[in-house]
Amino acid sequence: MFAYFLTRLASLALILVVMSVLIFLVTQAMPGDVASMIAGQFASKEVVDAIAVKLGLDQPLIVQYGRWAAGILQGDLGRSLVLEQPIGPILMEALARSLVLAVVALVVVAVVGIALGVLAAVRRGKLTDQMVSGISYLGIAVPDFFWAIVLVLIFGSYLKLLPTGGYTPISEGFLPWAAHLVLPVVTLVLMLLARIARLTRSSMIDVLQTNYVKFARAKGMPESVVILRHALKNALLPTITVLAIDFGLILGGVVVIETIFSYPGMGRLLLFAIQRHDLPLIQATILIVSAAYCLANLTADLLYAFVNPKIRHGMRAS
Amino acid sequence: MMTAPQAQPVLQPAAAPAVTPAPAPLLDIRGLTISYGNARGTLRAASDVSFAIRPGEVMGLVGESGSGKSTVAMAILDLLGGGGRVDSGEILFDGVDLRRLPAAERRALRGDRIAAVFQDPFTSLNPALTVGRQIAEPLIQHKGLSPRQAAVRVEELLAEVGIREPRRVAASYPHELSGGMQQRALIATALGCEPKLLILDEPTTALDVTVEARIIDLLAKLCDSHRLSALFVSHNLGIVNRICETVTVLYGGVVVETGRTGRVLSRPAHPYAKGLVAALPRITAERRHRLPSIPGTVAKLSGAVTACVFAPRCPFAEETCRSQPQPMRMDEAGDGVRCWKADALAGMPWPDEDAGAARPSRPQPQQSAPLVEVDHLRKVYGANRSVLPWLRRAGTVAVDDVSFTVGRGEVVGVVGESGSGKSTIGRALLALTEPSAGTVLFDGADLTERVRRGDQDLRRRAQLVFQNSAASLNPRKTIGAAMDRPLVLAGHGDAEERGKTIAGLLTRVGLPAAYADRYPHELSGGERQRVNIARALATNPDFVVCDEAVSALDVSVQANILNLLAELRDEMGLSYLFITHDIAVVSHIADRVLVVYGGTICEEGPIASVLRPPYHPYTEALLSAVPRLAEDGQEVPRILLEDAAAAPGGRGCAFAARCPRKLGAVCDEQAPPVHATADGHRIACHIPLATLAERASVFPELMGDDARH
Repeated sequence: MFAYFLTRLASLALILVVMSVLIFLVTQAMPGDVASMIAGQFASKEVVDAIAVKLGLDQPLIVQYGRWAAGILQGDLGRSLVLEQPIGPILMEALARSLVLAVVALVVVAVVGIALGVLAAVRRGKLTDQMVSGISYLGIAVPDFFWAIVLVLIFGSYLKLLPTGGYTPISEGFLPWAAHLVLPVVTLVLMLLARIARLTRSSMIDVLQTNYVKFARAKGMPESVVILRHALKNALLPTITVLAIDFGLILGGVVVIETIFSYPGMGRLLLFAIQRHDLPLIQATILIVSAAYCLANLTADLLYAFVNPKIRHGMRAS
Repeated sequence: MMTAPQAQPVLQPAAAPAVTPAPAPLLDIRGLTISYGNARGTLRAASDVSFAIRPGEVMGLVGESGSGKSTVAMAILDLLGGGGRVDSGEILFDGVDLRRLPAAERRALRGDRIAAVFQDPFTSLNPALTVGRQIAEPLIQHKGLSPRQAAVRVEELLAEVGIREPRRVAASYPHELSGGMQQRALIATALGCEPKLLILDEPTTALDVTVEARIIDLLAKLCDSHRLSALFVSHNLGIVNRICETVTVLYGGVVVETGRTGRVLSRPAHPYAKGLVAALPRITAERRHRLPSIPGTVAKLSGAVTACVFAPRCPFAEETCRSQPQPMRMDEAGDGVRCWKADALAGMPWPDEDAGAARPSRPQPQQSAPLVEVDHLRKVYGANRSVLPWLRRAGTVAVDDVSFTVGRGEVVGVVGESGSGKSTIGRALLALTEPSAGTVLFDGADLTERVRRGDQDLRRRAQLVFQNSAASLNPRKTIGAAMDRPLVLAGHGDAEERGKTIAGLLTRVGLPAAYADRYPHELSGGERQRVNIARALATNPDFVVCDEAVSALDVSVQANILNLLAELRDEMGLSYLFITHDIAVVSHIADRVLVVYGGTICEEGPIASVLRPPYHPYTEALLSAVPRLAEDGQEVPRILLEDAAAAPGGRGCAFAARCPRKLGAVCDEQAPPVHATADGHRIACHIPLATLAERASVFPELMGDDARH
C-alpha cells in the first residue's frame, strides 16, 4: 500500500513537471509582450527594454523557466504584474474559496446523488425511478447558467431570501457566509447531480443482481442491510471516480457560475489574469489547478482501495 | 401427496408401511406452479411440481437447463426475483405453508431454519467484506449473538467445514481464498444457525473435480452428523448418485420421475430419465464409442399442459402422448413416473441410433511428420522488469517447459483443472499468445515467425471453438454474417458463393440452412455451439482447438456436439486439441491425452494407457474423483486432495504440495524424471514406474478391454 502510494506520488510529481513546462511554453507563446504591457501603450522602446531586462525576459527561455520553477519549489509563485503583489497569498485566498465551494457542493452531490441513485435502483422501473430519471435529466439538459439566473431571480430578486452574489468570509459570521454559498452550491449540484445519480443507479442495479446479494438475501438479511452493507459499497467504485473528476473541476474554477454569482474563486482569478495578460498569475493559477486535479484523482484511487479490498491487496503485492 | 390436484387423477396414495409409519415430511411441495412474466408474455417454469423430503433425507432435483429445478429451489427460499411468480400450490415446511407467511417471517426463516448454498462460490461472497463477517451475519441476525460471540462461533464453524486456519481465513477477504475454501466458507455460513433444511443449488458445479470430490464428501458428512435434510439441485447425475438418497427428475418444469436414487439411475422408468442416463459421458477406453443423445431441444412452455412435455423429443412417443397430459403414477415404495408407457418400456434401453451401424472407419493418424510440434513451451504472465524496484515482478508461470506433438488427423486431449495452463497451451498453439520461451511448429514452420510475417494462411488452417457459445457470437450479427467474415478474410470474394458455403456448413453441423438469417439469441446453447463449430470449419482448417467446447452444455446436448466433432474429424481428417476439465468427455474423443497440472505435463499417452495403471498420482486422484453412476462399477475409494494449490513454476514437481504420495524433499527440490513406456505413455514422477504400476486400477471394468486395443 505504502509502496503504491510512493509510486503514485512519484508519477504525480512527474506529471506536474511536464505540466509546468507546457504551461510555461504555452503562456510564453501567447500574443502580446509582457514588458510592453507593463510599460503601457506609449512607453519608449528603452523603457520597455529596461523592464524586460529587469524581469529577465531577455534571457533564453530555459533560463526563465529554471528561475520560475526554482521559485515555485521554494514556495514563491512570483509577482502579479497587474496587481503588483506576490501571487501566493492572492492564489491561496481564491483557492480556499473554491475549495469551500467544491467541498460543500461535492458533499451535497455525493449524498443526494448516491441516495437518489440507490432509491432509483431499488425501485427500478417504478414511479420513483422514473421521477429520479426525469429530474436528473432536467438537471443535465438545462445549462448551468440558466439555473443560476433562475435561482438568482427567484431567491435573490423576488423572494429576497439570499444574496445574489459575492462572498463574505466566515470570520464575519457563519450565516452570511453560508447564505452566499447557497445559490452557487445549488447550481453546481443541479449541474452534477444527474450524472452521479444515474451512475450510481446503473452500477447499483448491476450489483443487486450479483450472487453475493442473492446469498445475503438467502441468509435472511433485512433488505436495508442487503442494500447498504452488501450492495452499496461495491456499487460506489465508478461513482467515486466521477466525484473526483467533478471535485477537480470545481476546484479549477467554474467560470460561468463564479461570474454569475460574483464568487471570487479560481475561475474568476484565472479569467482576470488572462484578460489582463498577467503571465505569472496565469502560469501559477494553471499550475495549482493541475495539481488540484492530480490530487483529487490520487484521493479517488486511495478511496478505491478503501472500498475494494481486492485493489488494496493488489497494492500490497506490488 | 394425498390430496391429488386435478391434474393427477391416477395418483394412488402411497401405502404407509405397516411397521414403521413414515415420518411427516419436513418439506412437502404440492402442486407448485411458477411462471415468469415479462412484456412478451408469461413462461411457465414449473407446472404442478410435487415432492416431499423427509427429515434427514437428501433429495436430488435433477434436470437440464430450463427444467425449472433452480426456479423451484428459489421459490422455496422466496427469492424468485426477475418477474417470477408462484401461481399456485403449497410449500409446506414443518407443516406450515410458507406461501401464507408474510414476507418478513419468510425472511426470518431464511438462513435460520432453511439455509442455502449456491453454485458459484467465487461470486457468492461479497468481495468488500471479510469472510468471517459474512459468516457471522446470520448468527447476529437470527440468533442474537454479539459480534464477539459470533466471531468465536465463526471459527468453530470454519474448523468444522475442514478449514485448518479458521482465524486467518475469517479475517481474509474472499479473493484471498481458493474456490474450494470459498465454498467451505459458504457451507459454514449455511450451517451457522443449525438449519433443518439445506437448499444446495449446484454447489460444486464451478469447482474443479478434485475439489468437488472433497466438498461432496464434506456435505455428505455434515448432512449425516447434523441430521440435515437437503434439496440438492444438480445437473450432474454422478454427484447426485453419490450424495442423494432420493431423486426427482424435472423436465420442462414437470416432475417426470421420482424415487430412490439407486433405482432411478440404474433402472430409469421415464424415457427422459433413460436418455439422460444414457447420454452421460462415461470414462471409456473404447474411443470409437458414439454417445447416445437426446434429439431436439427443450421447448419453452406457456399455457396449460396439454400433452406429455417430453413427447416432442421422445423416441417412444405415440399419439396418446401428444394429446393427453400425463398423470404421475406412484407405487407403494414412493417411486413415481409420469409416463403411461413406463411399464411397457421397463428394461428397454434408450435407443442408440447408430449402435452397430457401420460408421466410416477413421483413418489412423498418419505416422508422417506431426502437424503441430510443441517444444519446451513456456509462458509467463505479468512479468515486469521495471526500473522501480517495487514494481518488479517475476510474473506467474502459466506453462512451464511443455513439449508434445499433434499428429495429422489426431485428437489430443488436454485435461487439467483451472489454472493448470491448459487454455494457455491452446492459445499458444494458435499464436494468440506469444510464448515466453520455446517453439511451436505448425506444419514444420515456426508459428511465432509466421505470425510476425503476417501469414494469413495459418489463421485459415488453425481455428478455435470456445466454451461460451453465446459470448463467442456477436449478438448484433446474424449467424450468416458471423460466418461470412472468416470466408471474406480467407479471400472468398463472391457473395453468392459464400452464401452457398455457409448454407452447406450449417447443414453439415446439423442445422437448417435458414438459420443463417437468425440472430444468436434465437438459438439454443447447443445450436449456437454448432454455429461456432461451423464457423471454425468455414476456412477449411486442418487443426481446431476446442477449449472446453462442450463444458457449458447440458448432458444430452453435449453428447450431440461430441458426436458431431467426432464425425467431422473422421470425415475431414481434422486434428483437434481438445481442452477440457472432464476426463470422461476426453475419453470419448481423444486418441491421446495430456494430463496437465500447474503448467506442466504430468502424464501423457494413448487414452487407454492413461486410464490404466501405472498412474501419475495426480491422474489417479483425478480419475478417482470423477463422479459416476452405480452401474458403472463398484465404488472405488476416492483419493481426496488438499484444496490448496501451490503456485506453479517452482523447481520441484508442480504437484508436490498436494500429492498424497509425496516422497519427501526430493519432490519439492528436483524436477521429476520422465518414465516412458513403449506405447508412448510417459509419466513425470519421482516414484519409480514399477511402484506406480502396483496400484489398482481406478476403473476395474476397463481392465478387460485390453484385447480391443
